[in-house]
Amino acid sequence: MAEGTEGPGDALWEALMALLPSTKEDLMLDLGEKVDRGTALLLQQAVELFHGGRWADCLQASEAVLDYAWEKLNTGPWQDVNKAWRQVYAFGCLLKALCLCQPPREVTAVAAALRVCDMGLLMGAAILGDILIRVVAVLQAHLVSRKRPDCSPSQELPSLKKAKRDHVPAPDVRLERAVPRLHRPSLQHFRKHFLLPGRPVILAGVADHWPCMKKWSLDYIREVAGCRTVPVEVGSRYTDEDWSQTLMTVEEFVSKYITNEARDVGYLAQHQLFDQIPELKRDISIPDYCCLGSGEEEEITINAWFGPPGTVSPLHQDPQQNFLAQVIGRKYIRLYSPQDSEALYPHETHLLHNTSQVDVENPDLEKFPKFAEAPFLSCTLAPGEILFIPVKYWHYVRALDLSFSVSFWWS
Amino acid sequence: MLSPTFADPAAATMANLQESPRVEPMAEERSGSWFGFGFCGFGQEPGSGCRCQVLSPEPLQAVRDICRVSASWSYTALVTRGGRVELSGSASGAAGGCRDAWASEEILVLLRDGPGSQAELQAWAPGSALRGEPLWAQEPEAERAEPDAEARAEALPLLPGARAYVSPRPPFRRGLAPELRARRLELGAEHALLLDAAGQVFSWGGGRHGQLGHGTLEAELEPRLLEALQGLPMAQVAAGGWHSVCVSETGDLYIWGWNESGQLALPTRSLAEDKRTVTGEGLNQDGSQVERAAGTEDGAPAPFIAVQPFPALLDLPLSSDAVLASCGSRHTAVVTRTGELYTWGWGKYGQLGHGDSASLDRPCRVEYFVDKQLQVKTVTCGPWNTYVYAVNGNS
Repeated sequence: MAEGTEGPGDALWEALMALLPSTKEDLMLDLGEKVDRGTALLLQQAVELFHGGRWADCLQASEAVLDYAWEKLNTGPWQDVNKAWRQVYAFGCLLKALCLCQPPREVTAVAAALRVCDMGLLMGAAILGDILIRVVAVLQAHLVSRKRPDCSPSQELPSLKKAKRDHVPAPDVRLERAVPRLHRPSLQHFRKHFLLPGRPVILAGVADHWPCMKKWSLDYIREVAGCRTVPVEVGSRYTDEDWSQTLMTVEEFVSKYITNEARDVGYLAQHQLFDQIPELKRDISIPDYCCLGSGEEEEITINAWFGPPGTVSPLHQDPQQNFLAQVIGRKYIRLYSPQDSEALYPHETHLLHNTSQVDVENPDLEKFPKFAEAPFLSCTLAPGEILFIPVKYWHYVRALDLSFSVSFWWS
Repeated sequence: MLSPTFADPAAATMANLQESPRVEPMAEERSGSWFGFGFCGFGQEPGSGCRCQVLSPEPLQAVRDICRVSASWSYTALVTRGGRVELSGSASGAAGGCRDAWASEEILVLLRDGPGSQAELQAWAPGSALRGEPLWAQEPEAERAEPDAEARAEALPLLPGARAYVSPRPPFRRGLAPELRARRLELGAEHALLLDAAGQVFSWGGGRHGQLGHGTLEAELEPRLLEALQGLPMAQVAAGGWHSVCVSETGDLYIWGWNESGQLALPTRSLAEDKRTVTGEGLNQDGSQVERAAGTEDGAPAPFIAVQPFPALLDLPLSSDAVLASCGSRHTAVVTRTGELYTWGWGKYGQLGHGDSASLDRPCRVEYFVDKQLQVKTVTCGPWNTYVYAVNGNS
């Protein structure tokens, strides 16, 4: 079934065209020498076809661009992938998404185009003034306006059936050495007593008035981000053999891993959701204490961690300072000092050298005897609180409830 | 290397009559033809400029007397028995006095006749149309430590003398320890495979997708022997983008690496999902591979394999013996002793030759050659396409 045939003025198509630069020359990327000649030729051809209104041919050329750029993105470590290839990928996504929306289009075309844009945002790099974000906004608005009342998320029963799993009950943290809690310490105090010596602390009264604390709920997240495609980790923990990563919309994720009884654990983890969905970014703030670092504010990596009770991040360390802000639900967190790394038996492979081999809440003490004596701090992090995890400080995290955390990696 | 005999003038006027290329010399030379299928979005053979992909084998038309094919993504180099190299696709041009060619997006490497019996190595920019000067040229090393080194180095990217090989990225010329006694070298997107005189296989480079075959995902800086294959002399090796294949002297196939499109002929999640969802390949920020969501909601555990880090023996249908393998970026092609061609893996551009764009995670015979009673002798894959040499089968 086709839509968008209501005469010459298709509102969606016009809104999309309005986002593009006016001339063919401006709709090109300045990639320089970084991409090979064949790719440059194909990109040029795709733009020509687009401007010539040859949508099917343009779609075909864009697909080839995408497939080739995908191979480049999969060659070598991610951090070494040349930004130019990520831009090419994003550009291919832009053209493909536009071609899909060309009237007359399939009923599923707009959702498909949205997914393509999300792929461009997830794996590509910003192009043409971050045009994909603007395209997504137009597509999302169109989807919302088209949605029939009985399909809107707020009408669905938000039944939070707890999965019938044997939860390890919440540890009694009173029996363990506690992470200190301070109410709005001064920058000076934080720097002198925690940042410089590398000591963890929970900051209370800092994030508790962020808009997310009141606004965010399962329904709100589904409303704002339901149709957006995100990466999801499937499996108990990333050190397991049957752990994998996949892509799905936020709505699919919530439906499959949160509201219904899921067979596996699914975790929307370590994802820069707020770059992808700027509307959510407005609900959070960068903690002021980050200004004590040497890096720029733009360099701060903000990750979302959203999942059902029971998600586990195995004991590991990160190369930057971390503020972990809790928004929905509680998390049990254990912290071990880098000075005690030997007792934590890090993996020997390069891939996992920042991860301990020990399962913190069920350690094999025969295999890892020194772990029993390793000192640690622990806490139950509650909504509104921020945990400061110093650089390289080992941390283990388990969600006790449906949980949404936001982490800030800074230097 | 190149056999110097030419087709007789009368025979040369017949369509598509080409001589047998680099295979074992046969008791009788039979007439044969080259075919191609897969991606030709840059107008390279077999596309004639108006089609993006060819889904079933089609005869190559433009160049006669082809003895060797080397295909890059956007162009193909065709070397004739007369020593001419012709380019088809995003790169054009032709040149004579050519013994061998190796095509990549960054450079086209030619082994050309030099003074005396020497060969000269040349690297050309593909956009140069083989006019002007090459990017660089050099004589391969004059000294030959071992008498059989020249004969042993079968083809580019391994250089005559087997002491070095060419790479598409700098350094363009890379040395090999003479102790390796290299016979054949194949390059993937991030790894290298080497076959030595004794039939041993070595691998090195990136290993994040298990393509090195040592059982880990770790990289190797230096050539490392594949211990899993020790005692099994290999006749041939082939490297895809992120997977590896080798053929034993007894006709067995071993395969390892990335299976995201079924290129290892092992069950892959992405194909199980193919019926329902729009394609959505992806890569997580830290470089680990993404798989699509499992298709079955009923809880059946899916035995999908994304990565196979050790060589696995692969049985072809009808217990056929393999004689030759070649790999594209994400697909695999194998020729059997009885002259059949099997392909599997990524098929979006028709590179499997089964008449459609489906990807496959099990070996399937290319029926075109069976239907036309052609015996496949050689296969060479470009990243997204496949070139086949076949002769008329006898009764």
